[in-house]
Amino acid sequence: MLFFFTDLLALGCIVSIMVVGLNLQYGYTGLLNFAFYMYVAIGAYIAGVTTMGPPTLPGITYIFGWTLPWYVGLLLGGVVAAAAGAVVFAFTVRRLRSDYLAIVTVSAAFIVYNVINSFIPLFDGATGLFNVPPITGNLNVSTEQYSLIVLLVAAILLAVFVFISMRIFRSPFGRLLRAIREDETVTSAFGHASWRPQLWVFVIGCFMAGIAGGLFIFYITAWSPSAFLPLESFFLLAALIIGGSGNYWGAVFGAFVVIEGLAELSRYAPTFGSQADAGAIRAMIIGIALILVLRYRPEGLFPERWLKWYRTTASAARKRVLPGRQSP
Amino acid sequence: MTASVLALAAVAVSLQVSVTNFINFAYGDFMTFGAYIAWTVAEHGVNFFLAVLIGGIATGVLGVVSNFVIFRPFMRRRVRPVTLLIAGVGLSFIVQNGMTIIWGTEPVRFNVTLGNALHIGPLVLTPGDLVTIGAAVALLVLLHAMLTYTKFGKSLRATSNNVDLAKACGIDSDRVISITWFIAGILTAVAGVGLVLQESTLDPTTGFSELFVIFGAVILGGIGRPYGAMLGALVVGILTEVSGSYVDSAYKTSIAFGFVIVLLLFRPQGLFSAAGKTS
Amino acid sequence: MTEALAAGGDVLLDIREVQFAYGGVKAVDGASFSVDRGTVTGLIGPNGAGKSTLIEILSGTLSPDRGSILFQGVDTRGWGPPRVAQMGIARTFQTARVLPRLTVLENVLVAAQGQEGENPLKAMFWRRSWAQQEDANREEAKSLLNWLGLSDHLEKPAGTLSGGQRRLMEISRALLAHPKLLLLDEPTAGVFPETSRLIATRIREIVAQGVTILLIAHNMEFLSTVADDVVVMAEGKVLTRGPLDSVRQHEDVIAAYLGVGGRSLTTHPITGA
Repeated sequence: MLFFFTDLLALGCIVSIMVVGLNLQYGYTGLLNFAFYMYVAIGAYIAGVTTMGPPTLPGITYIFGWTLPWYVGLLLGGVVAAAAGAVVFAFTVRRLRSDYLAIVTVSAAFIVYNVINSFIPLFDGATGLFNVPPITGNLNVSTEQYSLIVLLVAAILLAVFVFISMRIFRSPFGRLLRAIREDETVTSAFGHASWRPQLWVFVIGCFMAGIAGGLFIFYITAWSPSAFLPLESFFLLAALIIGGSGNYWGAVFGAFVVIEGLAELSRYAPTFGSQADAGAIRAMIIGIALILVLRYRPEGLFPERWLKWYRTTASAARKRVLPGRQSP
Repeated sequence: MTASVLALAAVAVSLQVSVTNFINFAYGDFMTFGAYIAWTVAEHGVNFFLAVLIGGIATGVLGVVSNFVIFRPFMRRRVRPVTLLIAGVGLSFIVQNGMTIIWGTEPVRFNVTLGNALHIGPLVLTPGDLVTIGAAVALLVLLHAMLTYTKFGKSLRATSNNVDLAKACGIDSDRVISITWFIAGILTAVAGVGLVLQESTLDPTTGFSELFVIFGAVILGGIGRPYGAMLGALVVGILTEVSGSYVDSAYKTSIAFGFVIVLLLFRPQGLFSAAGKTS
Repeated sequence: MTEALAAGGDVLLDIREVQFAYGGVKAVDGASFSVDRGTVTGLIGPNGAGKSTLIEILSGTLSPDRGSILFQGVDTRGWGPPRVAQMGIARTFQTARVLPRLTVLENVLVAAQGQEGENPLKAMFWRRSWAQQEDANREEAKSLLNWLGLSDHLEKPAGTLSGGQRRLMEISRALLAHPKLLLLDEPTAGVFPETSRLIATRIREIVAQGVTILLIAHNMEFLSTVADDVVVMAEGKVLTRGPLDSVRQHEDVIAAYLGVGGRSLTTHPITGA
């Protein structure tokens, strides 16, 4: 029974990291990244192939195989995902408006999916990776205990990322991002070129995606193309919008309730059809919820305006006469 | 051939986009829907062509209902195009998974024998191809005739040009939009069936997989220009087929997508610089 | 065509033979004039004269086909808006542009220049490096908004502001950027008379602080209270330049507004004759 909760919470934290990352890109800055899950996959794969040893079993091939410790693999996963994000951004976001960008990013995600699936030497194609070394290494741990350990790691990382999201939101940088989201003409008229802040936030978001991917593969100890169908990005986006775009708590809520909550329910609830049906119903519910939210509460369940954007207590504590231009 | 399926689908999208000004993300699923309806009806012994027609009508109705229930309330409030795009995503979830529940995930085939294949030089045209090309040509000609000669066609062109102006001239734009969805639905269903004939199997994801290639063709021809879309589809279709003979077929769709990407990066306004038509 | 040079003084902005064509139409066709430091220059003319286009060019949004724009002696032609803004030019828009989901205070704060907190790494990890500056900016933004009568609206989403309030906010915002040159595009269009008077008063106070202003306006009463000088444009060219009263009587100006050759009618809207 405990496993049900640790599993739910662990996966919830991992998915939360993803949605928090997506929130930085779409919620704060308005960058519509339909290929977000691609970065999760990159993180997962890199974490996997760098921590596994060289391929030994017949018929299995993949690159690297460096047997690095898990935290290095995890970090590498995040970094490579972030780098990929930078590359994609450089080619696309600077040039395209949002709906074209959406099409291009999904197409790119599909191509990556297709290549990984078909080009076996890279990540072992459709079969994928398995027997990825767990975080606990050679220690003998039960599934429950491992789930708890992953939950701990994921929760700590989630807390870090939420903290970063908060810091960004309460800073001029965050304000600039949101301003760019609202009207680039204005920000540009006051000295800010859009692409630099956008690039930063895109890279940070992709880094988070990569970390989440790494955690995922360490938890499940396996990964294959079937795990990152382009569809997953849409679920994340739906979760963010329903939970509250622009609000990192909304992101966490969206991840836990919309994605994990429904997934767990569909997994454990009595199925009157087949397993696929349960998944389909879940997706339909998400679709309906998405449209309802867009129509009747577009800011989501946890609106952005609920966040306090400035720590007034800190400024009140530092009351002093400041030099500078006197008001006319 | 891919091009004819693509052409039908692209024209339908273009038509609908020209009048409503946003891209319907659930479009691929509409294609799948039309194909499924046609298949179900055909499985019950109805003549193939009649089944396709019924599928077309069903998809048309689906389009009109979607517009009425989902898109129109949004458009009434003048929301940003991104919102409509995401609403389309939600609709796609609903339609695609609804089909999964009704018809399951197992692929099905059309049990239709239409004759023998035709060989023209290096090209092999299956009966499915021929039927699709024929249907595509016929429908597109009909569409062209309607757009040019009928009163409705003129209303449509006026609305696509400038909604407010058309309304001011007394054109009921809501009606025009509804009918356009219906027509687009018919074209979509036929395209869907054509796609299935070409891919030979049908499952809930069939249409969705082609979505972005269709968008690519539409954008290539210039958004909102049905005639451009036809040509765009032709170009993309031919290019995909030709490159397919040089590269492993597993990558064929990737090539199509890659082409779309290159296109959008370097010439987002399409092949033909449209005078003032921006979406 | 009269020469459009300002009467002596320190030239801040010098526009020379600027041309801009849009789809075959010459929106600006060889416009030339200069603006002295510390003055308020009005830019007037009938609709379609190219005034707003010129403002777009000056702010860097549009790039002229020909000509040069010398700001403090530097040619800004071809620069984009961010670079122009960094030189010390701020603007308001013909239709007030607010950032709807940000608060009014946040809207204004976007304009502050050189914010350390906009650096992502400092924002995330090193709050101390920018907190003091942010406090200072915040105080200044508040006082500017109070000065323009928006003290009740600081924490409200800017989308809730009325049209007149938005124009006031735009002015506060532009001022927070500490500009040398302020471009105002129809700052009193569609506002109540008392708001218009407030804006006029504030403009004079802004100029007293050393800011130079170039503004587009149609309301002659407003212009007569703020503008030292007006430049008259028509059909993309500069017709004449001078104090408002004398310009009003100018034959070419009347013709431009009326579209006929030099004839004046009774109770003419511009001259009042």
